[in-house]
Amino acid sequence: MTTRPSGAAITEIIIVILGLLTLNSALFTVNETNQVVVTQLGKPIEVLKKPGLYIKIPFIQTANKFEDRLLEYEAAPRRCVTKDKKYIFLNNYARWRIVDPLLFMKTVRNESGAHSRLDDVVYAAIREEVGKYNLIDTVRSSDRKILSAEITPEEEEIKREIEKIEVGREKIMKVVTEKSDQMMRQYGIKVIDVRIKRADLPKANTEAVFGRMKAERNRISNRYLSEGEGEKAKILGEMDKELAQIRSEAYRKAQEIKGKADAEATKIYAQAYEQDPDFFNFLKTLETYRETLPKKTLIVVPLDSKFFKYLAPEAPPEKASSKKP
Amino acid sequence: MVSAKKIALGVVLFIIAIWLYSGVYIVHPNEEGVIRRWGRYYTSKGPGIHYHIPWPVERVDKPPIAKIQKMEIGFRTIRAGPPALYQPHEEEALMLTGDINIVDLWFIVHYRIKDAKAYLFNVRNIKKIIKDAAEAAMRQIIGDRGVDEALTIGKEEIQEAAQKRLQEILDLYESGIHVVTVKLQDVHAPGEVKEAFEGVASAREARERLINEALGKYNTEIPRARGEAERTIREAEAYAVQRVKHSQGEAKRFLDRLRAYRKAKTITKDRLYLETMREILPDIEKVIMAEPREGILKFLNLRGKGLEGSLRGGE
Repeated sequence: MTTRPSGAAITEIIIVILGLLTLNSALFTVNETNQVVVTQLGKPIEVLKKPGLYIKIPFIQTANKFEDRLLEYEAAPRRCVTKDKKYIFLNNYARWRIVDPLLFMKTVRNESGAHSRLDDVVYAAIREEVGKYNLIDTVRSSDRKILSAEITPEEEEIKREIEKIEVGREKIMKVVTEKSDQMMRQYGIKVIDVRIKRADLPKANTEAVFGRMKAERNRISNRYLSEGEGEKAKILGEMDKELAQIRSEAYRKAQEIKGKADAEATKIYAQAYEQDPDFFNFLKTLETYRETLPKKTLIVVPLDSKFFKYLAPEAPPEKASSKKP
Repeated sequence: MVSAKKIALGVVLFIIAIWLYSGVYIVHPNEEGVIRRWGRYYTSKGPGIHYHIPWPVERVDKPPIAKIQKMEIGFRTIRAGPPALYQPHEEEALMLTGDINIVDLWFIVHYRIKDAKAYLFNVRNIKKIIKDAAEAAMRQIIGDRGVDEALTIGKEEIQEAAQKRLQEILDLYESGIHVVTVKLQDVHAPGEVKEAFEGVASAREARERLINEALGKYNTEIPRARGEAERTIREAEAYAVQRVKHSQGEAKRFLDRLRAYRKAKTITKDRLYLETMREILPDIEKVIMAEPREGILKFLNLRGKGLEGSLRGGE
């Protein structure tokens, strides 16, 4: 601050600044991610898509930059009606590019203008296409067989005839993409892809689905329980049968063995006793006395019994053999 | 004046030096340096220290091409833990299945940049694009599967199919993204029906338990019965042996006695009789009569004590 710039210096600085401003206005770049429309006093002159350094007439011409990348668009969830008169809330997105920046600039000017057009066009296309088919077409993309862990094939057959799709979500969205693309070309926009991000049933239907899911699961649970009981009864029944078999078989064998032994013994006894049946009877009788007469038995013994033969010697001898006790 | 000029020159030189220095850049090992000159792709550099012409001529971007990035859908990790803490995002997680059930599904996507140029130049707001595509892909895959496949039996297949679908979508967008993996995390039935689903699991366990109980009983009862049967048979065999041996012994004894008896019949018979009587009679009450007649027997108090007792009772 000790010196003040002279007039010449100020002029120099002004010239430099003006020069820089002019340069800045004359030179511009087109980036890899951009495309540029050069306008002269608002009138489009040139479209530049190739990236690099360009020169324009300063202050008179303007470089209007537009995105050259894939752009996002997402619609708020909206209700659609299917052919089978069911409601579904669809939340879809679209991916798009500006392919004709000049047309884009003329018709929608900027991205928010493009969004409002997309809102109309994409929703209309979706509503139309979804409405052509049943709900299942919006949910599924193919007739792929649905596998199930819990439900036996027979039961599944009865449970629900799984609806066949006519075209499926993939194809519906392809048509929506094509239609939207056609409609958006007039704005210099190419629609690359429209896709359903989320599909939800209305609240009331969701409740119904939950109810059905619960009922299905409870039925499966009950089936498992009764299967368990049944299986248990089967095993125990089998067990009882086998037990009876084992026991009766053992009894049969035991009886057979005993019977054989008895027969054998009988044979042996018979062979021995045959030799003198009278003596056998005598011995057996004595044995029987010993075993069958308990203590304190009162018996009446005639005096002429064999036992008292010597107590009463006059007893008639012919009676001695007739009675023993 | 001179000093001012010098200062000005110094300042200019200093600014130029800083400007020149701003062209130095480091590319880290997991990055790729992508240079644009005047906005146009110029060259790519690998890891190391490099130099580019400073702004506004050239600029460098260093996308992390080797880094695997993670995206969570249906939930967000609040704390990696342990214990981990997650925040559910129901609007992302609830999905309609092909059999019109609803599942609550969390999944993650691992991805990396496979084409740095495409990643930088083709797509704006890449994270949102990946996330939207991932949701759309997963919902489409789940929309073609049953609730059981999502919850249990089809997880592997769903992951593969969703990964393939997501890659197709991202390739369509020329995003330069490679999907490394799609993994299902927590998949369960939504809140209200969770209990019913858990009920199925416990019913299945109950079934197993019932069967195992029955099998356990079967496996203890049958061997025991077999053992008992074996014992019954052995006992019968023991009986048989005993029976035969006894009979043989008794037969032998009889024959021996018979042989002796035959030597002196009457004596032996009498002896045997008397021996038996001697054994029996001491314990027996006897009434000895010279000439027992039927009539007399009737008057004998043969049940003496019992009768006395009854007479006394009659007094």
